[in-house]
Amino acid sequence: MAKKRAQDPHETGRSARNNERGEGRSKMEEVTMKDKAFLNDLAREGAIAFKSGRLDRRSFLMLCGLAGVATLAVKVGDAEAAANEIVMWNWGGESEKCHGDAIGKPFTAATGLPLKFDTSGPLQGKIKEMVDSGKVTADVCDADGFDAIALGKSGHLEAIDYNIVNKKQIKEGSAWEFGVGVIYYGYAFMYDTKAFGDNPPKGWADFYDTAKFPGKRSLYKWANGSIESALVADGVPKDKVYPCDVPRAIAKIKTIKGDSLYWGSGSEAHDMIVNGEVAMGMIWQNRGKTIEERTNGRYKMVMNEAIAMPGAYIVPRGNPAGRDNVMKFIEQALQVDSQLMILDCLGMTPSNPEAFAKIPEAMQPYAINSAQNIDKVIFNDPVWWADNGGDAVNAFLEAIG
Amino acid sequence: MATRTSRFNPYWLLVAPAVLLVLALYVAPIVNVLLLSVTDPKPGLGNYAKIFESDTVANLIWRTIRLCLITTVAAVTLGYAVSYAMLHALSGVRRRMMSILLISFWISVLVRSFAWLMLLGHNGLVNGALLSLGIISEPLPLMRNELGVLIGMTEYMVPYAILPLLANMQGIDPRVTSASRSLGASSAQTFFRVFLPLTKPGIIAASLLVFISSLGFYVTPAILGGGKVQMIAEYISVQLLVTVRWGVAAMLATLMIASVLTLMYVLNRFMKLSVVFGGVAR
Repeated sequence: MAKKRAQDPHETGRSARNNERGEGRSKMEEVTMKDKAFLNDLAREGAIAFKSGRLDRRSFLMLCGLAGVATLAVKVGDAEAAANEIVMWNWGGESEKCHGDAIGKPFTAATGLPLKFDTSGPLQGKIKEMVDSGKVTADVCDADGFDAIALGKSGHLEAIDYNIVNKKQIKEGSAWEFGVGVIYYGYAFMYDTKAFGDNPPKGWADFYDTAKFPGKRSLYKWANGSIESALVADGVPKDKVYPCDVPRAIAKIKTIKGDSLYWGSGSEAHDMIVNGEVAMGMIWQNRGKTIEERTNGRYKMVMNEAIAMPGAYIVPRGNPAGRDNVMKFIEQALQVDSQLMILDCLGMTPSNPEAFAKIPEAMQPYAINSAQNIDKVIFNDPVWWADNGGDAVNAFLEAIG
Repeated sequence: MATRTSRFNPYWLLVAPAVLLVLALYVAPIVNVLLLSVTDPKPGLGNYAKIFESDTVANLIWRTIRLCLITTVAAVTLGYAVSYAMLHALSGVRRRMMSILLISFWISVLVRSFAWLMLLGHNGLVNGALLSLGIISEPLPLMRNELGVLIGMTEYMVPYAILPLLANMQGIDPRVTSASRSLGASSAQTFFRVFLPLTKPGIIAASLLVFISSLGFYVTPAILGGGKVQMIAEYISVQLLVTVRWGVAAMLATLMIASVLTLMYVLNRFMKLSVVFGGVAR
């Protein structure tokens, strides 16, 4: 899984750059952009028509040739494949199997379209690059809520069609114009029961208190969750965390700077905890469950005040399979059965409120939206991160460096 | 000489396809990306002003230079000792040393970084042994900090130092040191007053090569630095992928390419580049 990032939408977007370059130039590019988009659409529509038998092969190839010669953006093979499959861009590992079983199988059964994967990790910069290049090869990205807001604003995403995707199946606040919060994951922390078994830490205030709980700490390197944890530890009420007071958070983080390490991937966070490099470590809550199980409870997770992140499905603009197909895919991902399978397989917790009550007993302590956790966690504000994340990440990197 | 420069050398035709390919597929895209540094987010030198305005960028550049300098000194010193030993070893031993050197040269940087973690990490072999011998009571903080990064970088760079140093040392006439000894100089005097000055071009070439190569370290600081030792390469990747500030990333990339090219130019004045990279001296 592995997720991260944030950005400043004011500084991005080719259109924004072009506008500042001068009117004439930008108009010309706008025209070619429109041509490109039109021919792309044409090729895509053609592919769909070809697939459903409304267009013969020769005409279809001619259409592709026409579009391809003019734009270089659509290759015959691409467009031909386009209507035949959905390509999901995710983070690899277990998720390939889990997404395949939970969403891919029922989706393929219903639509006949197979699900394929690109497991290189859809970081915001990569999605932007893909759309800007005009060579879009992914249909749906397993990204973050703030990516949906930021890339939506900069014009890199297809809008969600809420005629196909049922809003009632999405947790309140996660049905955005350019993305859907399909699952939730979170930044919790774990402690070593050998060190603190008698008097366990209960929240971020204890995490940052190295006098009362001596030992090293680990935090997420790219600021998500880390900023929020510091604010809560510093006494900011849970409902006042956003907008984040970044200087205050950084001042708090600097109090443990000498005792802290920073991780960039789930496995690194895992190693730091189980190798005893830290006495308490921040961890993605699904990874924390694995550690508890594998160490027979030697390391225990604290879900209280965990920072809950909506994991967003977003669609790069001009996706090869067409908007309707990918919307059906997102709709499938929100079905209760798919949601519970993802929970079981990946530990990513449901967004569909109907699934909350069906979270199995054993998963309750680890799930964000289970009855025992939903009021204890802090829900991330993707809009704040979309607007301020770039500055926050850089300020954070400066502080820990 | 005059005829050589005035007449067209037909061998250029053999090189031309490769040169054109590199220009079209490598240089042009790079220039395209580097141009972002003066166009994104708005045209002008705003990104370059950040070097002077932003502490983050200034600190980053300074930290990168500092770590690379320390790595250079450490790697060249170690490399000098190894090359010296190789020079004086029997030819069979030298061959074996050379193969070990080349094998270590080919091991991936990722594998090496994780190997260091297993060796010197919190629960690593060294700390484990020292703890069980009762020499220390707490594991030594050898990894996940600046020391860890320096150890990892130096180890990676030693072969880069050895190759040009060895090439240089092998070019020194052994009779010179014999003459020095026969004229009554002690072995220390011979080394410091005869041999060492003769290896100066090798030392300079090795230092520049190691320094240039260290500038781009990405994996080692990311894994061994515990997240606190950011160098330029990792910062560029964060600006590209996470904060999506391509202008800043392109500015830093331009800076790096410019410094590398400048250093290459300097290097070329001390030692023909072809020699450093294994070619034949002319």
